[in-house]
Amino acid sequence: MGDDRTWATSRFRRAFIGSLIGLAVVAIAPFFLDIYLTSILIRTLFLAAVVMTVDIIWGWVGILTFGQSAFFGIGAYACGLVFTHYGFGPGWALGALAIGLIAAALVAGATGWLAFFHGSSPLYASIMTLALPIILTQVIFSAGTFTGSSSGLSGFPTYYWSLEVWLWIAGVFLVLTTAGGWLLVRSDFGRVMIAIRENELRCAYLGIPVSRIKTALMIAAAIVTAAAGFGYAAFSNVVAPELAGFQLGTEFLIWTALGGRGTLFGPVVAAIGIETTSSWLSGTLPFLWQLLIGVVFVTVIVLLPRGFAPLCTGLWRYVRPKSRPFVLERTLALDSDSRLGQRASIDTPPLLIEQLSRRYGSLHVLTDVTMTARASQLLGIIGPNGAGKTTLMRCISDGNERSDGMVKINGNDIGRASPHKVVEHGVGRSFQNTSLFDSLTIAECLMLARYRLDGAQLFRNKTNLALSQPALDILSATGLDQRLTEQTKNLSHGMKRGLELAMVLASEPSVLLLDEPTAGLTHAERAVIGKVLSRLTREYALCIVLIEHDLDFVREISDRVVVLHQGEILMEGSVDEVVSSELVKSVYAGHQVEAAE
Amino acid sequence: MAVLALDILTTAGILFVVSSGLLIILGVMKLINFAHGAFLTVGGYTAYSVSAAGYSPWLSIPAAAIFGFVGGLVVERLIVRPLYDRPLDAILATWGLGIVIGQLITLGFGRGVQFVPTPLAGTTELLGVDYSAYRLVVAIVAVLLVIAMSALLKLTRFGLNARAVIMDETLARGLGIDSTRVRAWTFGIGAALACAAGALITPLLSVDPNMGLPWLVNSFMLVLISGVSFPSLFVASLILGGAQVVVSTYANPILGGMTIVVIAALVLRINPKGFSRG
Repeated sequence: MGDDRTWATSRFRRAFIGSLIGLAVVAIAPFFLDIYLTSILIRTLFLAAVVMTVDIIWGWVGILTFGQSAFFGIGAYACGLVFTHYGFGPGWALGALAIGLIAAALVAGATGWLAFFHGSSPLYASIMTLALPIILTQVIFSAGTFTGSSSGLSGFPTYYWSLEVWLWIAGVFLVLTTAGGWLLVRSDFGRVMIAIRENELRCAYLGIPVSRIKTALMIAAAIVTAAAGFGYAAFSNVVAPELAGFQLGTEFLIWTALGGRGTLFGPVVAAIGIETTSSWLSGTLPFLWQLLIGVVFVTVIVLLPRGFAPLCTGLWRYVRPKSRPFVLERTLALDSDSRLGQRASIDTPPLLIEQLSRRYGSLHVLTDVTMTARASQLLGIIGPNGAGKTTLMRCISDGNERSDGMVKINGNDIGRASPHKVVEHGVGRSFQNTSLFDSLTIAECLMLARYRLDGAQLFRNKTNLALSQPALDILSATGLDQRLTEQTKNLSHGMKRGLELAMVLASEPSVLLLDEPTAGLTHAERAVIGKVLSRLTREYALCIVLIEHDLDFVREISDRVVVLHQGEILMEGSVDEVVSSELVKSVYAGHQVEAAE
Repeated sequence: MAVLALDILTTAGILFVVSSGLLIILGVMKLINFAHGAFLTVGGYTAYSVSAAGYSPWLSIPAAAIFGFVGGLVVERLIVRPLYDRPLDAILATWGLGIVIGQLITLGFGRGVQFVPTPLAGTTELLGVDYSAYRLVVAIVAVLLVIAMSALLKLTRFGLNARAVIMDETLARGLGIDSTRVRAWTFGIGAALACAAGALITPLLSVDPNMGLPWLVNSFMLVLISGVSFPSLFVASLILGGAQVVVSTYANPILGGMTIVVIAALVLRINPKGFSRG
């Protein structure tokens, strides 16, 4: 089972068999359906492919998008406009399709640039996707006779193939795009998508270019959607502003939510089922049907946020308890090309901070902090609560955080770089609270940490994880290496801490920022971590900056200590100097600092 | 020029009145009420029913407010309360509610367009031009509403509790403020404002089951860039509404229709906090 190739082929075999079944259904379907139902189904299948992309963007990556209809409209109008105004024929058709796809990709890229940046809120991204179809609809309105304004374009020349042919085209399109989507979400890259959904900030600090990934997915989804829109328009021979409108965009969301977001097949089935039924019923009871959908939708959002699909899979497991979900086994290996510690040099200090300040309005959290941390050195930062220790970490690892001053990592000025860029310079940061990815396994978390170095395969899974020796040491010391397929939400606090540290080390930093790595740990666990940290400085020449409250722990492992107090460096020196200093004692005991100065 | 100035002023007033219900809900509850458009529609139909029943059109505004308040309390209990910790889902659920309301109205009143008589017909001379008297009334109502809502938040017990919840809900609860109740009241007030706004603007427009929808997106954008304060919503309405009027007048009305969305999106890209707190 462990072999890379068998796994990959088994996944591909499953996708292949699934696609064959789907294609077979599509192939025979026209012979069992009447004309009316077939023509409804053709449109529905195109829409279902769009809903599949909405599910990837919303269900898997967590971006609530109202704007997918805009890309659908772009594809549809590419068809309608070219065929109406310019010409018709195979060359024109291919050209129009290409124009539609390129236009959709460009618009998606621009939207991504606007909507996704470090620090943008999920709500803001949703607003951008909401603005998109609204603006596009207005553009269509304002183009007058060219776009047919509010009545759209109809009766343009198109391919009047038989309904069977159209159903086959739509069906094949849906089956192939869904199979591609399925392979994508099951792949290693799919794990990265889930990680972004669950903890975007943590991803950024692992060096994953979150915004770029989101934008790339938007573009890919836009291309598939525009192709669907093109097919829809070519078949129905009508394009109208509604195809690009915000209401269709929300309908995609409704179908996705009802089918079950993050399940891929659920939304596809829901789209086909609901849209076919509503076209079917549109003659007899249109408003009642819409009312029913609205009521069911609200109920599902409130009571059943994961939609109907989990109910079906739950039922399936109840019937066949043995069919457990399928967990990929991964094996650990030593990364022989590990570059951990090889960046260290004596001449350029790994971390150089000059006159760094951080203000929140009139509140000065850090003032003129200047310090240098060297390779092979463990620098402890101590100070009472509210001294600005964590803020300092944040200013080092995110270029947008500081108000003034300069931070250089391995000689590179970080400027205003966002966290994932700072990681590229060699910073690895662990957090005060263990913020991991609940539904991912330990192995998947480690893979995420390696994303910057190894990337993630788009449609496949890798089964071996090459890690540097210290990361492997931590995993075996905490027993994590025995539980690689365990979801992280089931881990104890100590194990989470261990995993956190292993993940940071797996990303092969040269400057390691650790924010209270031993908080809440037992004495034994603390000793293990202390040993690993000392070894990292001695054998791997890492530069470690450690925030710690436990003075004994700091004394044991630190080479040098900086004392922060009220946002300023109060003292800097060897461990013994600091620990025996009256000044530090007075700060910790809460006496007036001025008196000691 | 005078007409343009009055247009800007009254458009800003209308936008402010229409958005204020959304603002208070977003401010206190951190929740975007996508049923806002449907609430406006409900207000419009309340006005229609009141005048169809033969009562004075002036009565329609308080009637809509009361109806909205009670309806808002019910909706909050059934739909919004379970979704406090899922804000993006709350957007969807309230959108679904909007669909339900729209369909119920369609079933009850039909799809057709209805008209509501103006309580105050004719024009008034101001700044040397004849201008629609009712539009001026709406602008005056907007100014009064800024004052009233600011007073509600600054001077009353409810306002104090609401501001505490806005700043730090956990702490507020720790101090014994019943934040659930504050939220319920807020949603009620928001719905009441929306319905009253719907009733107020219907004499200027016509009534149909989708009348609230075009307002939803614009007021949503205005509210997002103005943070939690009513005065800054007024400023936002004035600036963006003004831009809309200018673009509609000198370029074309369709481009005017997207002015607010475009400007708001750009403002938020540059400064995610919008107009509030610089």
